[in-house]
Amino acid sequence: MATRTHRTRARIPRAAWVLILPFVIMFAAFFIAPIVYAVVQSLFATESSGLGFGAPETKFAFFDNYVRAFSDPTFSQSLLRLLLFSAILVPLMVVTALGLALLLDSASARFPRVFRIISFAPYGVPGVVATLLWGFLYVPATSPILQVLSNWGIDVNPLSSSAVLFAIANISLWGFAGYNMVILSSALDAIPSELYEAARVDGASAWATIWHIKLPLVRPSVILVTVFTIIGTLQLFVEPLVLRPLTTAIGTTFTPNLAAYNQAFAQGNSNLASAMAVIVALLGFVVSFGFLRFVNRKGNRAW
Amino acid sequence: MPVSPRSRRWLAAAAVMTTAVSLAACSSDDSSSEGPVELTFQSWVPNIDQVVDAFNEAHDDVHVTLETVTAGPDGGYATMQSAVQAGNAADVAQIGYDAIPDFLINDALEDITEYVEDDADLFTEWQWQTGVFGGSVYSIPQASGPLGQFYRADVFEELGIEYPETWDEFYEAAKTVRESGAYIAAFAFNQAPWMIGLAQQGGAQWFTPDNDAWTVDINGADTLKVAEFWQKLVDEDLVKVEADMSSEWNSDIQSGKVLTWISGSWADAILRGTAPDLAGSWAVGPVPQWNAGENVSATWGGGSASAVLKGSKHPKEAAEFAVWMNSNPASVNLLTEVGAGWPAIDDISEIAALEDSEVFDFYGGQNIWDVFAESDKAVDTSWTWPPLSSTLFADLVDNVKASVDGGKPLVDAYNKTQEDMIAALEERGIAVN
Repeated sequence: MATRTHRTRARIPRAAWVLILPFVIMFAAFFIAPIVYAVVQSLFATESSGLGFGAPETKFAFFDNYVRAFSDPTFSQSLLRLLLFSAILVPLMVVTALGLALLLDSASARFPRVFRIISFAPYGVPGVVATLLWGFLYVPATSPILQVLSNWGIDVNPLSSSAVLFAIANISLWGFAGYNMVILSSALDAIPSELYEAARVDGASAWATIWHIKLPLVRPSVILVTVFTIIGTLQLFVEPLVLRPLTTAIGTTFTPNLAAYNQAFAQGNSNLASAMAVIVALLGFVVSFGFLRFVNRKGNRAW
Repeated sequence: MPVSPRSRRWLAAAAVMTTAVSLAACSSDDSSSEGPVELTFQSWVPNIDQVVDAFNEAHDDVHVTLETVTAGPDGGYATMQSAVQAGNAADVAQIGYDAIPDFLINDALEDITEYVEDDADLFTEWQWQTGVFGGSVYSIPQASGPLGQFYRADVFEELGIEYPETWDEFYEAAKTVRESGAYIAAFAFNQAPWMIGLAQQGGAQWFTPDNDAWTVDINGADTLKVAEFWQKLVDEDLVKVEADMSSEWNSDIQSGKVLTWISGSWADAILRGTAPDLAGSWAVGPVPQWNAGENVSATWGGGSASAVLKGSKHPKEAAEFAVWMNSNPASVNLLTEVGAGWPAIDDISEIAALEDSEVFDFYGGQNIWDVFAESDKAVDTSWTWPPLSSTLFADLVDNVKASVDGGKPLVDAYNKTQEDMIAALEERGIAVN
């Protein structure tokens, strides 16, 4: 809302307030208020008595819901599983997106626009639909690929408990690598051509150009993509929800978000669900900002 | 278009106004003293609007408006209960038998005993009892899914298998089927109502209200007998471990890799939709018995009822609508036609939807409803759903999955579910014996 006019100072903020008021109202109603409500909800619990029939009592429970969430081994497991999933997906995503962007940016790339659109296309497929499609490909009875492999004597079950995280990571990679590639591509496009000319004059090879010019200059975009991917992985929800009926490897508490959803909508315990949601939000906050601090700390320009 | 500062201010004001209006528009109102009593009814049964229309046509003094909601377990119940808390609930709601106690522990249902106590005789006893707690009536049964066994009569004949009347015969049949390359059934690890139905049919009584506290018996002898039987089938690779109604299962049913399905009466429509090419080769029989000569049946997760939500301004009319919808023969016929399930009423002689020859053709001319009518009469009337049944469903499926996935005994899953369920009840302050 910065303004560069030189009129009297008193009028400008008022106009600015009027203009941002719709945003402030919406932001407060649909962003701040639900967060506050969730935090408040997470501090209460309902209690029944006897057979449970009759009005329950709502009481202030301090951090009981948080203690309960953390003392539930399945919830702690889901948090660990999520970190493991991040460790699998984040590097894979960044390297794939960066690799694609550099390939399409290289001087010898053929039809870069066509390939850019092709690799971006999966982003247009809604997550649920993408997961349903992959679900078909992951189940031996319906997957042509697995059937061919099986005929060759290779029995693969992508939905077994040892493989299911990779199967989900694959769906995310398929859906989002193209999107991240576009972000990195536009950063590469923004590099002034004089730098390339200077490098050519100096006799730099294609690899040297990538290493000394392209990568350092797209660094902010790579960090952006990494943070987006971290936040995205911590919110893992749709893929396990859709795949859950197909496999014994995914239960109702597979990820913290799934556990919170299950508590709120299937088990009717919105207080515990709120506590779980707050924990996931805090985790996302800590991990994203921890990563940003790590990459932006003084003197850290080597990577 | 260039925008002058003045019109900019107007635009801002207009935007603010729009917001304020749309926020204020959230609350509405009703209740004029003139005209018919207005009721709202929430349901997710497809095409149930036909039933509502029929009611409105037959009644001048009461007018019902249908609100379609998400299926209960997928968020519909959460919506209804939030509305009760907020004081703007619908008058009548579609609620599964298993979810009625959940509504009661949240004090979300009206006691309608005084309006409906004379109507009990219209309904099958076990179905009526699903709405009765502590002598008070809280809901009117609509439809259920008594269990039957759908099977490939043609393949059974080919393999020389007599219809398995008992579980021992089922086991022997499973071996014969497996030798031919197929499986007799799927072990549906995703399906809590199926597992609970099998336990109930084995004589289990998981929840009993007793001296103002619940007796929980999920890992009693009757249940473990059932668990061990299916364990044997899984261990010997006689059943296919797969989710039912999944793409994998559909394909196995179509290709004849899975030959039977123990399911509710409504499964007929699913089967006809899944395997239209197999018309004429299916048949239905009773669920195999643990003791030869007995006739014990169970249901698929109970059924569905209509309840009056707490805070309804017209509980009397709402209760009357619930009774009419679920007992008037024309209405029940419509409900059966749209696939609501097996009628909860006792006298089904007037239900034309149960005479559809197209259905019978799929089953080689068999009147499959005879089997389900028998089954409905043979359901244990004392089975009681507990509060937190959704927790039960989720825990049971999670634990059975963990057992199957980790190669551990199924019995462990039932032991763990017993522990989980007691912990969940006690955590809510509900007494457990």
